Amino acid sequence: MSLDYSKEIPLVQGDLTMADLDNAITKPMDTKPNNKYFIALAFTTSLLLLGLLGVALTFYYGIGEWGNNQPVAWGWGITNFVFWVGIAHAGTLISAILYLLRQKWRTGIARFAEAMTIFAVICAGIFPIIHTGRPWLAGYLIPYPNSHGLWPNFMSPLVWDVFAVSTYFIVSLMFWYVGLIPDFATLRDRATTKAKKFVYSFFSLGWRHSNRHWRHYEKVYMILAGLATPLVLSVHTVVSFDFAVAVLPGWHSTIFPPYFVAGAIFSGFAMVVTALIFIRKVFNLEDVITMDHLDRMNKIILLTGSMVGYAYLMEFFISWYSGVPTEQFVAINRAFGPYAWGYWIMVSCNSLFPQLFWFRKFRRSIPVMFIVVILVNVGMWFERFIIIASSLHRDFLPSSWGYFTPTWVDFSILIGSFGLFFTLVLLFSRTLPVVAMSEIKGVVEGAQPSHHGGDHNG
Amino acid sequence: MDKGKKLHSVAALFNKPDEIIDAAKKTNAAGYKKYDVNTPYPVHGMDSAMGMGQSKVGFVTLFFGLFGATFIFLFMWWSTASSYSIVVGGKPFLSTPAFIPITFETTVLFAAISTVVGMIAVFFKLPANSHPIHDTDYMKAVSGDKYGLVIEAEDEKFNKAEVTEFLKGLGAYKVENIYYPEFEKFRLFEPKFLLFLVVIAVGTCGMTYVTLNKLMYVTPFGWMEFQSKLTAQEGSDMWANGEGMRPPVEGTVARDDMPYPFMGQPTPPEVLSNPTLPTKKLLKLGQKKFLTFCSPCHGNLADGNSRLRGQFPAGPTLHSAKIINYPDGKIYHIITNGQNAMPSYSRQTTNKERWAIVDYIRVLQRAQNAKESDLQAINKESVSNVQK
Amino acid sequence: MSKNETGYTKKNLPDKIAKIGGILFAVGLLLGIAGFLADTYRASFAYLVSFIFFLSITIGSLFLVALEYAAGADWSTPFRRISEFFAASLPLLIIFVIPLFFNTGNLFRWSHADYINSDQMLQAKSAYLNTPFFVVRVIGILLLWLVFYYVITKNSRKQDSTGDQTLTKKNIRLSVIFIPLFAITVTLTAVDWVMSLESRWFSTMFGVYLFSGIVWVALAVLTYTAIKLRENGYLHSAIKEDHYYSLGTLLFAFTAFWGYIAFSQYMLIWYGNLPEETFWFMQRWSGGWKIISILLIVTHFIVPFFSLLSYEAKTNIKRLKFISLWVIAIHFLDVYWLIMPSMTRNDHAYTFSWIDFVYPLIFIGLLMVVFSKMAQKYNLVPIGDPKLQRGLNFHL
Repeated sequence: MSLDYSKEIPLVQGDLTMADLDNAITKPMDTKPNNKYFIALAFTTSLLLLGLLGVALTFYYGIGEWGNNQPVAWGWGITNFVFWVGIAHAGTLISAILYLLRQKWRTGIARFAEAMTIFAVICAGIFPIIHTGRPWLAGYLIPYPNSHGLWPNFMSPLVWDVFAVSTYFIVSLMFWYVGLIPDFATLRDRATTKAKKFVYSFFSLGWRHSNRHWRHYEKVYMILAGLATPLVLSVHTVVSFDFAVAVLPGWHSTIFPPYFVAGAIFSGFAMVVTALIFIRKVFNLEDVITMDHLDRMNKIILLTGSMVGYAYLMEFFISWYSGVPTEQFVAINRAFGPYAWGYWIMVSCNSLFPQLFWFRKFRRSIPVMFIVVILVNVGMWFERFIIIASSLHRDFLPSSWGYFTPTWVDFSILIGSFGLFFTLVLLFSRTLPVVAMSEIKGVVEGAQPSHHGGDHNG
Repeated sequence: MDKGKKLHSVAALFNKPDEIIDAAKKTNAAGYKKYDVNTPYPVHGMDSAMGMGQSKVGFVTLFFGLFGATFIFLFMWWSTASSYSIVVGGKPFLSTPAFIPITFETTVLFAAISTVVGMIAVFFKLPANSHPIHDTDYMKAVSGDKYGLVIEAEDEKFNKAEVTEFLKGLGAYKVENIYYPEFEKFRLFEPKFLLFLVVIAVGTCGMTYVTLNKLMYVTPFGWMEFQSKLTAQEGSDMWANGEGMRPPVEGTVARDDMPYPFMGQPTPPEVLSNPTLPTKKLLKLGQKKFLTFCSPCHGNLADGNSRLRGQFPAGPTLHSAKIINYPDGKIYHIITNGQNAMPSYSRQTTNKERWAIVDYIRVLQRAQNAKESDLQAINKESVSNVQK
Repeated sequence: MSKNETGYTKKNLPDKIAKIGGILFAVGLLLGIAGFLADTYRASFAYLVSFIFFLSITIGSLFLVALEYAAGADWSTPFRRISEFFAASLPLLIIFVIPLFFNTGNLFRWSHADYINSDQMLQAKSAYLNTPFFVVRVIGILLLWLVFYYVITKNSRKQDSTGDQTLTKKNIRLSVIFIPLFAITVTLTAVDWVMSLESRWFSTMFGVYLFSGIVWVALAVLTYTAIKLRENGYLHSAIKEDHYYSLGTLLFAFTAFWGYIAFSQYMLIWYGNLPEETFWFMQRWSGGWKIISILLIVTHFIVPFFSLLSYEAKTNIKRLKFISLWVIAIHFLDVYWLIMPSMTRNDHAYTFSWIDFVYPLIFIGLLMVVFSKMAQKYNLVPIGDPKLQRGLNFHL
């Protein structure tokens, strides 16, 4: 297959007109879902219920239901938190960073990715709340004037986390909503029932596609993208600070911030690809979410996976180079100690299998792609777990060494978080447009005036 | 849909983006000011075709972003270094590197929220669901895949026939009139809206009350408030009289105490022997306790010179021959058990203190009946003290 | 595609560029040799600073070329050749590294056997930190860079006459292989030449730190040259504000990136407060270095960040040129701050010397001479590149 580098890859294939696009995208919202949808929803909801059971038991009996012990006092709670926050980052990267880089191919997937961001942050936010033991007293953590003169400990990275993740959630939500305003307007004008019309009018705020508004809108979108970009980098950086500010060998490593950010994008893109493989098929959007989109995303997966691999190598090399015996021990213990099984899962899933994406054939093959991205998600979960458990379970004092075993409550909460995420994705896919209608219409062939400088079919 | 007859604007629809750009340029050149272009997505070059400059919304972002940064940094400084400064991890009170992550996040938060809220409320003046342009065929077309230009009747140069001709001349495939909707009651007082407000108010109050007064106390959420241990004044079913607070069991002895075997016997069969040595320290203790407990009735020198002023029978002098001949244990017995009008002092004094009092009484007795040799010994001692 | 189709005609650069470059080189060389004769110890460090500065520009330029191919970007195609011509100085690295090989004794304490043997920790590192292995690594890395430079640019130039698209495909393949190798080799360069100056110190972030500076200065060099050449008609006339904006944005982004990396590295070491890590920063906070450190924060981050924040700033030609030169100067300051404190090792108060400022002349002169020679031989615009037309038509 020969490529012509002088031509841009078309963003929308199949010669679709704008009306076609509107119809294709709004179809899931206007039609009744078929059985497959309900089966999928039933499945994800049952996973969610299992998670709720785990959470209920945790509330009733306490954190003893989890596997946390001494010395591994941080177990799956924080592993899952970091995992989900990482997945959230891909969404913002696609919608904000690729926007700033003028990568127009993001248009087909940006809306879906932003929605995934929000759902993933919701899943992530559950864990700091439930891990406190008496979460109903969480209100006391907010800064309020009290007779003890107590304020939050602003030196602690856990407090930085609170600010970072909350800001990230709010900004992502606003970014997503601002993008939805024109689509709500279009939906309002296509609405067939009075109820739908009322809801869409409400959320569209009366948007009337006026260019006097588009002028500000585009600027605000650019500003939000410009704010969201450093924000997303900072959020996972602050999460990495949770570990890196400690003096624990294996945690105290200066490369953690970019390492975590690259890992977050890596796992996030893998999750996006996982979901899009289904979405494009089920909703017949293969001409809008094309194989070229998947190809490009797989390239980014390869790139960020290599960055993660680079960080593995650096950590290993510097722990030898540093000459500090505890650092060297941690590096060896990770690979050959009691958690070696997890370590090698992590390395093979994150560094080995994604190497298949060097080959164009594999980047564009759905079965291969699917397996690799699932493995990447597994591997990235294990990475967080290995970082936490392998450094905690054997630190400075051998008499304190121990092993962490998860309980079935831990499992059920993890499974439940996946259930929550996919339930939200399924609900989203039928209630809101999964592709940004106004944006995609703007990049279709013939959408922009011709005398404004050349082909805008790209 | 019925509309009132007041004309709001004349609207034209176009098929191609080139056409709408052209139309906008010509409309701007023709001198119209109150006109607008509606497109389903932003069309490149429309801003300059309409003669509009850059959006100023960025200034809002900058201002609020800097404000957020300053505010949060000052708050962190105040709470960490000024209000109640605690040394955390050996770091200085004003730890700028530690404050930077939160400062950054808050900058972004303030900047983003202010930009979006400002954009919607100030720049767009939305929500505005009752704009005349809604619910028209024009709006439906423009939401889909057509491009539209609207010239408002309020424009200075507006003349309905002229404008319609002008728009047709620009190549529009359809020109329609847009009218104001029928006069509506001021929305704020619509009964539905008021009902809505009432429902919200009642709902919020009710939920707050239920949560704070009922829900928070439902077990298991109030577990550690209700504990099995007995607290002061609490009743208990374990005893017949239902009292949780019990007196000490019969025969309970206080710590460091030895029960006095002859308690309650005015004439004991025997008396204890004095286990103490009259050291200076002990005598000083005895003096202190004597002066505290004994001297009000017996006088400071145990000579019966009481301070009671007849309000209570005065104690006898302790220098009588009878009492000088008492064994130490007898005096101890009288103090511990009491005698006649004198109550027992076993509650106010420990065993040791009472023996100290006995020793001190002996000192007083000797002092009041001093022999010549005693006086000489004292004089010699005081002289030798002065020489030292 | 012939020259006429794309609207570009080759114009030779004025001779004075090569002449000025030659003069700078000669003056620098003379003063440099004088410096080595006057104070070999100090000169080794000063020379290393300039060498790393020169290396940053050359390998950074090659990275920008590879990045364009790997990312499939088209907006930078019209001036990719500029980066290729700056990367053309890569072969000279092998020559100019030789004075450093002769001075490893002055630079690196680990090259002294008695120093290594005094400390168990250093002995453990000696498998890596020993002069023979060091030389092998350095030469190997430079040769590797050379190979990639040669093949990629050869393909690029050949395409001018043939317009063959398979050359683009080949270059893409080479670029995506080069980039991970670049990551590893730049890391090793950072560890070998800069981090090992303090053989007890370590930081996993160090390679990334140097990388951020390398790309920053390469972008600045590209931006300044592109604007200057375009102004004077040496580049294609279709290069416009939108292209400058993109360059300005990248410069801004890497300013922020450097700030992020530098802060992260500093904060984590500050927070952990481990003496074996903090001493490196304490060195740079003592005596006169304190002022330089503060200056670095202001000039490396605050000034470029706020100068390039707005859209207007990123399209203002005068400001872009000024900031580019600023960036080039400040990257020199950054490398200076990384390397020179190891010279005094807290023993005595630091003072500047004329020797510190002599060696940049050599390398700036070299870059200018090589650039103008290359511009004489080859086109400044890759006229055969299939992406060129799209790149020229680029609009935001």
